[in-house]
Amino acid sequence: MNHDIDDNIPPFDNADHEREWLLQERAMRRERLHLDPASDDAKTLRYRMLAHALRQSLQESLPPDFARRMATLTAAGMTAKPTSGTRFELALTISLVIVFVLAAGGATVIYGSAWLPSISAALPAPDPSTIRWLLAFAGCIGMSWLLGSWQQHRHGRD
Amino acid sequence: MEDIRSSPDRELVDAVLANRPGAFERLVREYQGLCWHIIHRMVRHPEDARELCQDTFLRVHQCLHQYRYESALKSWIGRVAYTIALRHLQHKRIPLLENTDDGDDYALVENIGDGFDLEAACADAETAQHLHAAIEALPPLQRTLLTLYYLEEVTIPEIARITGLASGTIKSHLFRSRLRLRGALEARTGVAA
Repeated sequence: MNHDIDDNIPPFDNADHEREWLLQERAMRRERLHLDPASDDAKTLRYRMLAHALRQSLQESLPPDFARRMATLTAAGMTAKPTSGTRFELALTISLVIVFVLAAGGATVIYGSAWLPSISAALPAPDPSTIRWLLAFAGCIGMSWLLGSWQQHRHGRD
Repeated sequence: MEDIRSSPDRELVDAVLANRPGAFERLVREYQGLCWHIIHRMVRHPEDARELCQDTFLRVHQCLHQYRYESALKSWIGRVAYTIALRHLQHKRIPLLENTDDGDDYALVENIGDGFDLEAACADAETAQHLHAAIEALPPLQRTLLTLYYLEEVTIPEIARITGLASGTIKSHLFRSRLRLRGALEARTGVAA
């Protein structure tokens, strides 16, 4: 792949820095094209040596059968393990939800007899058509959730 | 920009999502070099890097249905690898960048440099080793950006998609890294300011 010199990269504010950057880029291109270094100045030659070193492959590599092993693992249904950060966030969220549910339950048991009658008195009498719409709405949400879960499960198993 | 709707990316993604035999293996083979370069340059530990590469492709397999062809598949997979390596570094409390004064690097802009024999320097094993040590000593982000730019020949806008950094920031990192490496090279081969 070629570096497109027309890419919209903002120039440096400092003209000297921009000139040096262009020199670095020129040296990289000249090294990539294996052009004769005879006409290059000392700076360009040093940047070309950097390019030479940076273009060398890393000493270590993945095992030669890595791709086949990955295909076998995914075919066997292995999925990505959650990272430690995700695991911690998940555990924290579950703990907070449990604490919240317990606190809500406790508050209802202790203070419920005082404020539940006043809440039910304040609510309007249920209208059958409203209930039907609410049930339809809940049904739509449930269907969307089920479809999403099924799709995720299907792709996870593919 | 290449029309991604008829690109080989779409063919490959469709084949993997359709669970065609050999498709995922082909995808891994195509992009394992990119992932290895990103992750190895970030974490520098070969065993950790291999494990993180495996995690990367498991995640790619799991989330490929979420790929929306808004960027090249290469950038999307590179982004997954970069994110996984970044989380690993954060977990190990390894800084992505170091807090150093850039003044020393910028001072090199003014350096004119003396005569330099490229062929002799490349052939000199000690100089090459010194340069590779200087590359290894760079902070993880700068090492990774240089590797993507030089070895993988990824453009700056594509690196921006992989890393989530602004193009100007990437340019600045590349510029300073190259200045610093040139300084390391001059410290070894000698220079007249």
